[in-house]
Amino acid sequence: MTGYVLRRLWQSAVVLLGVSVLVFAIMQLVPGDPIRLALGTRFDPDTYEALRARSGLDDSVPVQYVNWITSALTGDLGVSFRSGETVTSLIIERLPATLSLAGGAILVAILIAVPLGTLSALRPRSPVDWFATLSSQAGLSVPDFWLGIMFILIFAGTLGWLPSAGYTPLFEDPLGWAQHLLLPAVTAGVGSGSILTRFVRSSVLEAIGQDHVRTARAKGMRAGDVLRWHVLRNALVPFVTVGGVQLAYLLSGVVIVEYVFAYQGLGQLAFQAVQSRDYPVLQGAVLLFAVIFLVINLIVDLTYARLDPRISYRSSR
Amino acid sequence: MARTGRQRGGRGLAAVLAVAVLAGACSGGEDVDVDGEGGGDGGEGGSAGGTLIAAISAEPDQFDPHKTQAYASFQVLENVYDTLVVPDAEGEFQPSLATEWTTSDDGLTWTFTLREGVTFHDGSEFDSADVVYSYNRIIDEQLANAFRFASVADVQAPDPQTVVITLSEPTPALLSNIGGFKGMSIIPEGAADEYDLATEAVGTGPFTFESSAAGGVTLAAYDDYWGDAPSIDGVEFQYISEPTAALTALRSGDVHWTDNVPPQDVESLADDDQVELGTTPSVDYWYMAMNQAKPPFDNRDFRRGVAFGIDRAAVTEAAKFGAATVNQTAIPEQSFWYHEYAPFEHDPAQATDLIESAGAATPVQMGLMVTDEYPETIQAAQVIQANLAEVGVEVNIEQEDFGTWLDRQSQGDYDAFMLGWLGNLDPFGFYHAQHVCEGTSNFHSYCNPEVDDLLGQAATETDRDARKALYDQAAELIADDVSYLYLYNPDVVQAWAPGLEGYEVRADKAINFESVRLPE
Amino acid sequence: MSIEESAETPPVTRQHRPRWLETLTLLARNPLAIAAVVVLAGLVFAALLAESIVPRDDIFTPDIANRLQAPSGEHWFGTDELGRDVFARVLAGAEVSLRVGAVAVGISLTAGVVVGLLAGYFGRWVDDTLMRVMDVLFAFPALLMAIAVLAILGAGSTNAMIAIGIVYTPIFARITRASVLSVREEVYVRAARSAGAGNVRIIVRHVLPNVTAPIIVQTSISLAFAILSEAALSFVGLGTQPPDPSWGRMLSEGRGFIEQAWWMAVFPGAAIFVTVLAFNVLGDALRDVLDPRQRSAMKGVGA
Repeated sequence: MTGYVLRRLWQSAVVLLGVSVLVFAIMQLVPGDPIRLALGTRFDPDTYEALRARSGLDDSVPVQYVNWITSALTGDLGVSFRSGETVTSLIIERLPATLSLAGGAILVAILIAVPLGTLSALRPRSPVDWFATLSSQAGLSVPDFWLGIMFILIFAGTLGWLPSAGYTPLFEDPLGWAQHLLLPAVTAGVGSGSILTRFVRSSVLEAIGQDHVRTARAKGMRAGDVLRWHVLRNALVPFVTVGGVQLAYLLSGVVIVEYVFAYQGLGQLAFQAVQSRDYPVLQGAVLLFAVIFLVINLIVDLTYARLDPRISYRSSR
Repeated sequence: MARTGRQRGGRGLAAVLAVAVLAGACSGGEDVDVDGEGGGDGGEGGSAGGTLIAAISAEPDQFDPHKTQAYASFQVLENVYDTLVVPDAEGEFQPSLATEWTTSDDGLTWTFTLREGVTFHDGSEFDSADVVYSYNRIIDEQLANAFRFASVADVQAPDPQTVVITLSEPTPALLSNIGGFKGMSIIPEGAADEYDLATEAVGTGPFTFESSAAGGVTLAAYDDYWGDAPSIDGVEFQYISEPTAALTALRSGDVHWTDNVPPQDVESLADDDQVELGTTPSVDYWYMAMNQAKPPFDNRDFRRGVAFGIDRAAVTEAAKFGAATVNQTAIPEQSFWYHEYAPFEHDPAQATDLIESAGAATPVQMGLMVTDEYPETIQAAQVIQANLAEVGVEVNIEQEDFGTWLDRQSQGDYDAFMLGWLGNLDPFGFYHAQHVCEGTSNFHSYCNPEVDDLLGQAATETDRDARKALYDQAAELIADDVSYLYLYNPDVVQAWAPGLEGYEVRADKAINFESVRLPE
Repeated sequence: MSIEESAETPPVTRQHRPRWLETLTLLARNPLAIAAVVVLAGLVFAALLAESIVPRDDIFTPDIANRLQAPSGEHWFGTDELGRDVFARVLAGAEVSLRVGAVAVGISLTAGVVVGLLAGYFGRWVDDTLMRVMDVLFAFPALLMAIAVLAILGAGSTNAMIAIGIVYTPIFARITRASVLSVREEVYVRAARSAGAGNVRIIVRHVLPNVTAPIIVQTSISLAFAILSEAALSFVGLGTQPPDPSWGRMLSEGRGFIEQAWWMAVFPGAAIFVTVLAFNVLGDALRDVLDPRQRSAMKGVGA
């Protein structure tokens, strides 16, 4: 087990290095530069040259990369070209919004998936099951940006119940936070909820068929207890796996949902960084996304081992 | 820095003094008068005080007035910083931090007398050293606006209340260069070292910069402001990029003011009694330019053919839904610099003739570069595409993000593009760099020595009427040669809550909440 | 990551009837699958014939006087902000969506299967290197990756195909690799090897045919995701260029007119939804027939 963990950590480090090279290479290949963008159309060549020289963009590409990665290793991700703030502070500023959205969306997903998946597994081929299957297909197929627009049209426009855009920090205004969070969280959560529903259904089905569940039932254990103690516990394994992957996905910036709701999270930050050629910000954000992704995957795989001792790690990869 | 040591001791007294000084300073009769109409300051119930919430459509990039070029930043900074002079609603320059100025006979020396009793938001006193520091920062560090000082040889402070600017050649556009917008703001001496100006602001304006977060910025009324202290307690700017969201928030009373009013909403909002709508023609212009370094776009007849082939009214209607005025020259009627000249009618037959006479094989392929940074260019391009298809030009719309767009523009890697020039006040700013042969913004390789000559003379002509006559001649040549194919001047459209008083929509889109009163 | 462990494919057993025929017969028993096939056939029909069904002018030519008309007998889905017929544009948009989706998936299918076969078959450092590269692509948020690729190549539907193709390559590589791992040590592969068959021959003749089931399933699901991705990229202005009708672009244009003209956003969105749903349903049905043990396993990663 320790060997496995070490190996996974090593692999993750290699992947992370690869991501850093890739994101750096991408920004080198993208035409346009941040200085020109900051100056806009009305600019003067001398000013442009002076600013460019000062920004370090005139160094050779390998030098720029080495400079960046050595600072990054000491925790210094550089300064945004666009705003002049440090990348770290920009990320920290946006992190609560993204954590709220990812948390909210995963909550929505679970609230959809657990009841719907369990019910449909307990009554296979019933109308409930059909409904669950169809709605999870539908939830998976609906474009999140369209769903978001429809929510805005209905709940913010016609009914006027909820604000259609923006983010309010939790500690400033808890009610405003919840109101701003609701529509984006539901929009982002529907897709994940649909995926989770199918997993809950199939794992519950599988768990019900297992011997110890039949035994427990035969022993006269109450249905609710059987469900709680045996079925759901066994169904937890794939649930944690898929839920973890979904969480990683939601945390690494739900770009489109944030875009539709003008929600100031990390996804918007990264998207704007691409558009404004804000190299340091994009590099910092993507590195963070990669770390989140790798850490969650590692945790998921280890949890998997904990919850289901049948899995051995010798053959993996 | 020593100046932080001077504290604001006795707030009330300072405020009284400020008002007294102001009363003297205002005797010239400039500036907006709030006290006259509203019925005094004495808080009449809910009308006095309160925080104005303004929804702006874009997010500022940073708050250093000398570095940012983003309109969103200036929407905020307009209320925080001051310049020596400031344009009024008609674009004429009025006193601000300078109360008066004189020009030497040769036009090379400008002497500004500074306002007394002005303090920065950190409590330090404003004097000529701050002006010299601010201007030298822009010049020495070659910041974004350094080119506005191109003809400035020297900035001196002979005494605390006087600033002398020495020029290398007469520069009638000087007032526009130093006061046209808040990019030329006066910051306290040493501020760049003392503060992080990207995220903080220390000005002399009616509001102090309190805090900035991902979703917006908060300003508070500055009690020691040299002008009439604002009647509201502060301003909260919220960034709402979605127009529907901004209008919903306005209707529900969550925000009091917004500039996020898409042109297509203007008509319906005009009859909406939940919303007060303000529009005025802006000094912005939108145009198409063809790359004259490439055939057949280097051919004047071809370009004139295109100019006859485009239905400007349809383009304008498509892009702006009536919230714009068609124009074949740069600046709108309301400006002193307007020159009535419209040589092109929509005439497909003449267009076809001209394009064919230019000798290129039709249909001519023409890439038209547009950007989603300005969605109206995409709308307009589709109408231009349909118009020109009828006269033998096949337009391929190339939508780029603005970074790539600018890159292709400066490398001359395009056939044609569409964009706008915004906030035009002095013609030097919107003719010279664009149309002289070696102009820094002449990305379309236009070159007409006659135009160079006229623009060169106009740049140093100190008699205003003679100067206008030169610009009028140049404007006709520019239009005739189709250096720029001018399309329209959009309206400034802003909306606010009914009952909000003292706000004025301005042609230069400066947003000033100094005299605003909230609805009850 | 962990998901690949569950992917096991039963080897192909020799049957009397051709396997594809059997698959079709089984598929035909599923009413949802039939519905999906009918919808998709209709879309292909629309894609191929849109320009002969509706006048070209309705699709492309602005008609400002008739802008923002509500749905009516003349304009079933209303008109857009430039006065073009939304129904005509939705119909013509099918071509863009299907073409971009198909080519993009073609790219990721080809690249992913080759990588997966090589990694799975040769193992060791080949496996390590290739799969680490795939991991790097995978750790990069999918849409952001596509946006970045388009920033490099420039907006446009051809480049969108490449961008989406790159983004979905790792998933094909992983599925293929997992399947190859499970058949690599099967008797028939060992037999071929001991009979002196070369690597290429073994891969093409013995490995590939036995890993097709999960790949076919993934192809259908990926088509759904690729069409969603194209729409998303066009939605943020990076995909299909104006004036070509793309559902995503129409939706983003409609977003600005949501108060005056709900039809501009509702119909293109519905078109995306129905198309993607059809591919997802078909993918599911295929999985039930071809690969019952792998139910839903890969779905969790694709979004």
